[in-house]
Amino acid sequence: MKDYTLKIAGYNIRFEASEESPELIPSERFLRNIIQTPDYDILIRVHHGTLKLSEEADRVFIAPYIIEVKGMKIKQRDHFWSVYKHHSDLYIFTNFPDSSHGKKALLKFSLTLREWDLWLEGTGEITDPFEYPVDSLVLYYLTVIHSDIMIHASGVNYAGNGYLFSGASGKGKTTLAELWEDSGAKVIHDDRLILRNINGTYRMFNTPVYRDDEPRESPLNKIFIIEHGTENKIIPVKGATAVTLVMANCIQQNWDPEVIAPLLGSVSTMCSMIPTVKLFFRPERRIIDYILEYE
Amino acid sequence: MTDPKSILSRNPKMVTKKTGNEYVLVPVTDNIADMNSVYTLNETGAFIWELIDGKKSVEEIINSVTKEYDIDIETATSDVYSFIRDMSKYLIIK
Repeated sequence: MKDYTLKIAGYNIRFEASEESPELIPSERFLRNIIQTPDYDILIRVHHGTLKLSEEADRVFIAPYIIEVKGMKIKQRDHFWSVYKHHSDLYIFTNFPDSSHGKKALLKFSLTLREWDLWLEGTGEITDPFEYPVDSLVLYYLTVIHSDIMIHASGVNYAGNGYLFSGASGKGKTTLAELWEDSGAKVIHDDRLILRNINGTYRMFNTPVYRDDEPRESPLNKIFIIEHGTENKIIPVKGATAVTLVMANCIQQNWDPEVIAPLLGSVSTMCSMIPTVKLFFRPERRIIDYILEYE
Repeated sequence: MTDPKSILSRNPKMVTKKTGNEYVLVPVTDNIADMNSVYTLNETGAFIWELIDGKKSVEEIINSVTKEYDIDIETATSDVYSFIRDMSKYLIIK
């Protein structure tokens, strides 16, 4: 394809191949996100090759390549992707851990422009321009531009109410999602959500970044910061404590105060509108009844 | 131990937001390893944080805490020094 648009978490992301670009073929996990629309939140022009950066560009962020095995984080490489800044332009260099061809990418973007450029090399004649980690990086920066929130959390909708369960790896996000699913709830996602304030109402969205999921969304009515416990217990939190607990689970690249401040503001506003509680729980069916009785 | 005459400044690599009488602090970092280090300052911590302006000395801050909370100088000294110890990464002491 020469061009197509994906709708993910309510964002329209349009790809256009330039003359010398390889053919663009979205991976299977994105097929349910393809829409026909002339409107886009971001246009990504895809090129073949790379771009030589100005020597004045500063490297502001380095991400190592970390994999998770049985809840343990293991660093595979010091250098996975990096962010460079030159005036108001930002650049991300990355390789692709799932690619066997030495595929590399350079994304040139800005937090104020809606048209970005992606250079790809080592791709062959066809490629998915939204291969990991470009997909999650583009979505992250879309949340930054829109003052939205990307968070480590599972989310479910039960009887029209949206519940979010946030915590680091091993805290029970997936366990709770499974228990809710067994109780008839619709699971939005079991690991990562995008939260958006749309016309004054908070909604949570899944993304197809990790799995072949159909697009799902739900209103957000309550935030649970989760911990395994010896008994089921809910403790309401508010103010700075709530903001700190939620912020600690947000996906952040904290190299720029101008990126941190809007996220802090967004989380603060959300915590003032959506009740936030700490949930200590035992991984049993009874926790669902306990939460519903608390409601 | 920090000299009582030392002047305290805030490390500029920190984003703060006041929520009610408390503060949320997020450090600026260039590496993913330090991500998600987020701190809360309670009301007393927030009061001390607001006094840190690159001009006031440690002993001036202790005196202000004594007056604000109507506590003795030993308690205020202990509170301020424990704040300095906890927040040392985010303070510049001269």
